[in-house]
Amino acid sequence: MTNSDAAALEKYVNMPELLARVENDRELLEDLLMLFREDFPLLRDDLHAAVGAGNPAEVQKVAHTLKGMLANLSINRAAQLAADIEAAARAGETLGIQQAIAAFDREETGLLAAVNTFMVSGER
Amino acid sequence: MRILIADDETVSLRLLEKTLKRAGYEVIAVSDGRKAAEELCRPDGARLALLDWVMPQLNGPAVCRAVRRIRSQRHVYLVLLTSKNSKEDIVEGLESGADDYLIKPFDPGELKARLHTGRRILELEDNLLEAREDMRYKATHDSLTSLLNRGTVLELLAAELPHKRRDNGSTAIVLGDLDHFKLVNDTYGHVIGDEVLREVARRLLGAVRSYDFVGRYGGEEFLLVLNNCCADKSMERAEEIRKAIGDTPVQTTQGSIEVTISLGIFDSLGSDTRTVEEVLCEVDSALYAAKSAGRNCCCMAADRRP
Repeated sequence: MTNSDAAALEKYVNMPELLARVENDRELLEDLLMLFREDFPLLRDDLHAAVGAGNPAEVQKVAHTLKGMLANLSINRAAQLAADIEAAARAGETLGIQQAIAAFDREETGLLAAVNTFMVSGER
Repeated sequence: MRILIADDETVSLRLLEKTLKRAGYEVIAVSDGRKAAEELCRPDGARLALLDWVMPQLNGPAVCRAVRRIRSQRHVYLVLLTSKNSKEDIVEGLESGADDYLIKPFDPGELKARLHTGRRILELEDNLLEAREDMRYKATHDSLTSLLNRGTVLELLAAELPHKRRDNGSTAIVLGDLDHFKLVNDTYGHVIGDEVLREVARRLLGAVRSYDFVGRYGGEEFLLVLNNCCADKSMERAEEIRKAIGDTPVQTTQGSIEVTISLGIFDSLGSDTRTVEEVLCEVDSALYAAKSAGRNCCCMAADRRP
């Protein structure tokens, strides 16, 4: 992987914090990012489906799971945005959910691209 | 030590699993609350658990409540690990039965330290239970022979008599006394006398069934309660016991010593309403009769003789 790949990822991930959490185990770090790459899009799709179905309870639940996953990986800004969605869903604020989802979507597009690039360059 | 981790989110589960394995735990990982509750409620289930809050089937607090409902002798140390971080959540989580509450994302050092606290508490409980069991054993058993002590065998007899009456069953009460045991102590000393008593106790236990009671009644006296022993079999059973003691000399550190026992027998039949004291009086008289008859024999209580 190149320095620029790592730097792109660090725009989203607090890498020192994450490395401390995995106790500097690089293999585990890659394993977790691999799981993230597989599961995050599924959860994101579930979130959109729940919003589309007008189901705030499901929105709250999925956003909570996303928040935990992102926080574990020290993807802190996206974790905060997921927390905003969860809070809006708990309060039953339809407009708040829409706004929070929009912010989350903007963040996650770049995030997924950065994780993918990081992982692909690592595989090379 | 085994630890259960329950989380439906794969990144969290993998991270926890690796962190805890590295810390020396044997990890059982499950991804829903129902499986977590089942594992923790098993008698040999893990005694330490990290539970996520939001999970399929049962959430973390529901798992805590399910585990606490089971009246287990041993405590299961439950830690909720969740990204729910309001004061209300923490209070609700702890009131559901969790012992500790950690907020995601966890710090590995803090996680291990908190689990170490849990282990200390479980170890303390184990030590207390072991000490209680040790005290219970010492309070109910004779320290020399490890047979039941006098108080305990009498308590068991007192409980058995009404039980036998309810079932219209029959119980044989046998009182044995080693013949001329004072001579053993006087000739070989009390240390050898103790060796003889221990061997006699071992033989008595070998001559009865697992559900019979054998206690040391006095110095060289032994009380046996032969449960569900038909009246027509009690003399035969007592003879077997007498032979178990007298047929083979006892090997001691000062050589082989011949030991015999005299036995008095009383059959407590279903209709019998005698108290423990009255039964003991009967069996004592029967033992006295056996001694008078020349020792190393069995004698039935007077009113039970054909």
